[in-house]
Amino acid sequence: MLHRRSALFGPAAIGATAAAGLLVLTACGGSIGNKSDSAGKGRTTITVGTTDKIIALDPAGAYDQGSWTPIQNIYQHLMTVEPGAKTATPDAASSCSFTSPTTYTCTMKPGLTFSNGDPLDAKAAAFSFNRVDKVNDPKGPSSLLTNIKKATAQGNKVILTLGTPDQTVPLLLAGGEGALVDPKVFPENKLLDSGKVIGSGPYKVAKYDVGSQLVLSKNPKYKGSDKLNNDQVIIVYKQKASDLKLSLENGDIDVAYRTLSPTDLQSLQKESSKGVKVVYGPGAEIRYVDFDVTTQPGKQKAVRQAAAYLVDRKQIASDVYDNSVEPLYSIVPTGLIGNTQPFKDIYGTSPNVAKAKAMLKAAGVSTPVKMTLWWNPDHYGELSGDEYADIAKQFENGGLFQVTRRSVDWNSYDEDSKKHAYPVYELGWYPDFPDPDDYLSPFFIKGGFNNTGYDNPTLDQIINAQRGEMDQSKRIQQLSQAQQIVAQDVPLIPIWQGKQNAGVRSNITGVKDTFDASFNFRFWLVGKK
Amino acid sequence: MRAYLVARILLVIPMVWILLTLVFLLLRVAPGDPITAALGGQLPPAELARRRHAAGFDRPIIVQYFDYLRQVVSGNLGKTQQGESVTHVVLVNGSATLELSIFALLFALVVGIPIGLRCGRRRDGAFDTFGRLFGIITYAAPVFFLGLLFQLLFTKKLGWLPPSGQVSSTLQAEISDGPHLLFFEALFKGDMTGLSDVVKHLILPAVTLGLLITGVVIRLVRVNVIQTLQGDYVEAARARGIPERRVVMRHAFRNALVPIVTVMGLQAALLLSGSVLTEETFNWPGIGNRLIQYLQNRDYLAVQGIISVFAIVVVVVSLLIDIVNAILDPRVRY
Repeated sequence: MLHRRSALFGPAAIGATAAAGLLVLTACGGSIGNKSDSAGKGRTTITVGTTDKIIALDPAGAYDQGSWTPIQNIYQHLMTVEPGAKTATPDAASSCSFTSPTTYTCTMKPGLTFSNGDPLDAKAAAFSFNRVDKVNDPKGPSSLLTNIKKATAQGNKVILTLGTPDQTVPLLLAGGEGALVDPKVFPENKLLDSGKVIGSGPYKVAKYDVGSQLVLSKNPKYKGSDKLNNDQVIIVYKQKASDLKLSLENGDIDVAYRTLSPTDLQSLQKESSKGVKVVYGPGAEIRYVDFDVTTQPGKQKAVRQAAAYLVDRKQIASDVYDNSVEPLYSIVPTGLIGNTQPFKDIYGTSPNVAKAKAMLKAAGVSTPVKMTLWWNPDHYGELSGDEYADIAKQFENGGLFQVTRRSVDWNSYDEDSKKHAYPVYELGWYPDFPDPDDYLSPFFIKGGFNNTGYDNPTLDQIINAQRGEMDQSKRIQQLSQAQQIVAQDVPLIPIWQGKQNAGVRSNITGVKDTFDASFNFRFWLVGKK
Repeated sequence: MRAYLVARILLVIPMVWILLTLVFLLLRVAPGDPITAALGGQLPPAELARRRHAAGFDRPIIVQYFDYLRQVVSGNLGKTQQGESVTHVVLVNGSATLELSIFALLFALVVGIPIGLRCGRRRDGAFDTFGRLFGIITYAAPVFFLGLLFQLLFTKKLGWLPPSGQVSSTLQAEISDGPHLLFFEALFKGDMTGLSDVVKHLILPAVTLGLLITGVVIRLVRVNVIQTLQGDYVEAARARGIPERRVVMRHAFRNALVPIVTVMGLQAALLLSGSVLTEETFNWPGIGNRLIQYLQNRDYLAVQGIISVFAIVVVVVSLLIDIVNAILDPRVRY
């Protein structure tokens, strides 16, 4: 009897229980290979790999490139930036214009609907803008819309009331922060789960496996002007650039977009025999060295100017980044209206130790100047370490500076850099919208987002003036003045400007067409030969 | 057996309670709270205070503690910063980890036991030296390093196997939400295309993680077989003229199994920690992969939920091992 009871717990019983458990879990699980509507025959599916991450697919909770890329494809906006264009044109609106310096009015196109059939009208558009402010998510874009004080719907018109005159509004409306959402689906005061979002753009969310994959399928109710060259886009999220490259070579993905390392790009360029190529396009991502002007050594302008004389941007671009980036000589990158090259004009394109020495001597600064240079290893790419080793060497050129390098993880870095914890440190910037103001206002007005202590009322005045200036030629003049002041005061040293790039399978078309300063990856342009 | 089983199951309760208490306390040793840690510096103090209040972090710690225990007991592990249910994450991603662990363990046993047995039988011979060396190397080699080497060889150089993921991107897009035991799904549904794709993706991560355990298995089997082969009952069996192969398999190996099963059970913790690195290396959509993402995002509530599950898994596995031991060796029950 005892023996029989024991048999109940014998290996066979345990094995059977385990098998039954697996069966139950399997039964609860999804089905593999039998879902007919997602990848039917004759449909074009594009698979895009990336090391970016999605923070949120609800536009009110997204202020990062990883989230904005799918958002720009899921939602429509009042305005849009056509590929290669520098200005915005109407999208969900039939027309938009300034009806007064502080009122921007858009007339909605008739008959637009979201992918669930709900109407996209002026009320929905007004709701979308007011909602970003109400949700006020810390990781969201509410700070970008602070100048839009109120959005109201009047018939088929959306009226945006601005705090101050602002010429950047049309471009702002075309960005991720201007995505139009369905008031019947999105809660007014809180974020919606990323898997449940509804838009009216070219694609709709078919499936979202957090951290792993996002499947976008053609939105049959899309009534915009963009023609889709594919039926479905699968975005695959990878942890490492090396994995991204291997997946492209292996054919598991069609496009490797953000972020392949320069070494990977060079290697892929030589792999045309494996059916892989690299495409480049203009970009507006920048990197710069920031000075905290409340503390030494950056407290003295002469020290900052001397450092500017010592930087060799060409060497960094070629030695560290294999020329996948370009030297940057202004806070406003090339390709945007009003860009000038004041750092080149004042400090030259090659290091000038003699002038740096003279600058320090004239200011009575004893050398070597001790400097702690901070950089971040996990946010700006794996080459930041090499870049800042080079910059440290360049600063030490001629014995004028004595540099100690320090690094810390991104969460601490991001938080502490705004608390005057780092005297000299690495930072980067991705554009929110392709306008020079996006490289000026956030950086310098009232001390700027990075809280470096640099405050120049004249510069603030010029920046505010250019933002509201209706006359383009006058605005360009003001932009030039602002860039000149930045180069003279050196609150930061621009280092490089990135080019957009992607590794693609050789049968893929349209990737190059989407690369421009707007940073929008328009999936609908990508097709297969 | 029943009394032993009841006593052993009752012991699980204080074990789980102690582990959950430790998890709760450890995550509160650091100053501040999860909301402040994740969002401090990004929000105005008033908004931060509102969120702390909404999440209940301004309540006395003892109240938070009992609330946490109540939630875990009811199967509610809280929500991630992005509003996802941690229980759902554990179910979906945990099943991918389970699949990986099953095949890693299977690989370790299939490779480790025969090598360990042969090493034990031919002590100090050439094969024994090779076996011991192999065991040390596989145990000592970092999982991520081994994984990268395999990726370089089998993906980059030979092009035989995919570099990462649990299944091809296009096939994954067709799978609906839910636990991802893709191997078993494809097998039970007779989907040979899917099965072949899943197996190709499974080989490298399972072998990488399996090799970590293989070293332990080899050394364990070897040592125990050597010990049991020196036993009087083995000598007696030999004296009765029983063939050597049968002596080893029926008398020595079977008796050597008890400590092997015990130690192998304890390897569950090693498998879980190894799976974190393996999943990171191979972009495997398991619970370890998610844990790293939550740690990077300072999502302490999600981390707390997942570590709680890890702790419970280790306790449950040790319970199962005790039961199996009791079956294999009746002395254990008394």
